Amino acid sequence: MADSTRQVQVKFFAVLREQAGVSTLDCATAARTPAELYRELQAGRGLQFPADLLRVAINERYATMETPLSTGDRVVFIPPVAGG
Amino acid sequence: MFELTDQPIDSAALRARLERPEAGACVVFEGWVRNHHGGRPVTQLDYEAFDELARIEGDAITAEAEEAHPGCTVLCVHRTGSLAIGELAVWIGVASPHRHGAFLACRQVIEEIKRRLPVWKKEHHPGNIAEWVNCTTESTAGRLSPGNYYERQASLPEVGASGQAALAAASVLVVGIGGLGCPAALYLATSGVGRLTLVDAGRVEVSNLHRQILFTADDVGAAKVSVAAARLRMHNPLVQVEARDADVTPGNVLALVAGRTAVLDCTDNFATRFLLHDACRQAGVPLVQAAVYRFEGELNLFEPGAQGCLHCLWSGRKPAQLETAPNCSGGPVFAPAVGVLGIMQAAEALKLILRLTDPIDFKQTRLINLLDASSYGIERPADPACPVCGLAQQTETPGDAAPPPRSESSDDFPLILQPQDIAALGPVQMIALLEAGEALDAATAPAGAIAVPMVDLIRIRELAGKGPAILACRRGLRSAALARLLRIEGVGRVYALAGGLGAIRIGVISA
Ligand SMILES: [Zn+2]
Repeated sequence: MADSTRQVQVKFFAVLREQAGVSTLDCATAARTPAELYRELQAGRGLQFPADLLRVAINERYATMETPLSTGDRVVFIPPVAGG
Repeated sequence: MFELTDQPIDSAALRARLERPEAGACVVFEGWVRNHHGGRPVTQLDYEAFDELARIEGDAITAEAEEAHPGCTVLCVHRTGSLAIGELAVWIGVASPHRHGAFLACRQVIEEIKRRLPVWKKEHHPGNIAEWVNCTTESTAGRLSPGNYYERQASLPEVGASGQAALAAASVLVVGIGGLGCPAALYLATSGVGRLTLVDAGRVEVSNLHRQILFTADDVGAAKVSVAAARLRMHNPLVQVEARDADVTPGNVLALVAGRTAVLDCTDNFATRFLLHDACRQAGVPLVQAAVYRFEGELNLFEPGAQGCLHCLWSGRKPAQLETAPNCSGGPVFAPAVGVLGIMQAAEALKLILRLTDPIDFKQTRLINLLDASSYGIERPADPACPVCGLAQQTETPGDAAPPPRSESSDDFPLILQPQDIAALGPVQMIALLEAGEALDAATAPAGAIAVPMVDLIRIRELAGKGPAILACRRGLRSAALARLLRIEGVGRVYALAGGLGAIRIGVISA
């Protein structure tokens, strides 16, 4: 069981930060990918934002929603922003 | 309406021509011949105009003012010939339903007349001395010079006289004159970017004023670009500011970005962002893009020809899909957030011109949060599936489901060609891509090289389509972008010369 959970830090940006109510969240998760992690957060933190419009970065580098997660990863979810 | 006359101006008669029942205000400006200029006594002025040119330009100036300030009727008359002290040299009257527009339009017309009208004047001084004075520079001569205006900036070791000259020679396009565009354009103008072009089709609204700092309450209803351009010229009369009261469209985007030193994307929608990005890539112009949501913003620099483009950033998602995102634009915004991001865009453009850009900034997104004053950089890697910037994905055209047939021949040379491999290609057409102001040095250019302006895509396509061709530009970046583009279009044997023109010692002269 210890092998199947990992400790990650999640950072939210813009509308996601508002919906999550926090900028940063440390969490233990069974999610293997950002897609799974986001589904957990949608259920657990009430995030409304559609997953298919998100960008995700892992450890300060853009990644895909299917990139495998490891313990210690810093995961950032970024929604589209276009205001000017 | 604009008129030239060699007869004395009758202001009462002109004023009568502006009378109309719907007008609630009339603002009149009269320019008089005075008896001194630049500390010297003046006895008489002679005005001389390029008649035909002056009439066309004058009509354009009054029409622009009427367009920018709806409801205003503008009449302007300029004298020619010999004028005595106290005589009327120029008369401008603006009738309008409201006084605000009338004052603004009148001010705009006289500033544009001073700046653009092809009229010269000869000043007569006591003792039968006379000299021609250029009307357009007369208002700033003596008070402002590049030497004193930029003194505190050019003395930075990173700028210096050469940096200041590079800024003066630069041409920057600012698209979107809103919360980002206003501060960005202001700092570009005061820093001495020689040519600024502002593009926006919007009118000033009351709800713009809290963050769009080039506009005042009196500007509501006026064309944004006209007001912004006039204000920037007042801030720094040493730079040229051009106003384009238009939207960026697929039809005009390439002409707008071609030949620029940099483009600032200060717009508020994804359709325009992608359009500008793709055009900048095609024209080989660096792009500085920013976007804001409430207290937070995002800054991206895109280098033409580099990987990790806007399509990579969105993994191939289309603008229409992104526009569906909730709270994407048009919502509440913290004014300093657009201010900070707009000024950062100006800073990045200035650094590009001054060659102070850290290369890492071309490859990352910077997220700025004004709530905790934090800045977070994210590396923007190339998307292996990117249809636009990936070298391995040359056969797929953006938006096409099925890739077109690969027309590349069987040779094994990569798109970026090393100079030592040129000979192995066999007979090949060398195409030297020239930037605005560059010319090919015939003495050192290899026989058979054809020089083509970088913006002449039609000619480049035609030449490259005839068979094996090598594109060479100054540094090798723009040629790589163009070669990629041509490959995407199906041109097979086209290559970009690694290292650019310098690699094979083709002489290029900067004009
Ligand atoms: Zn790309």
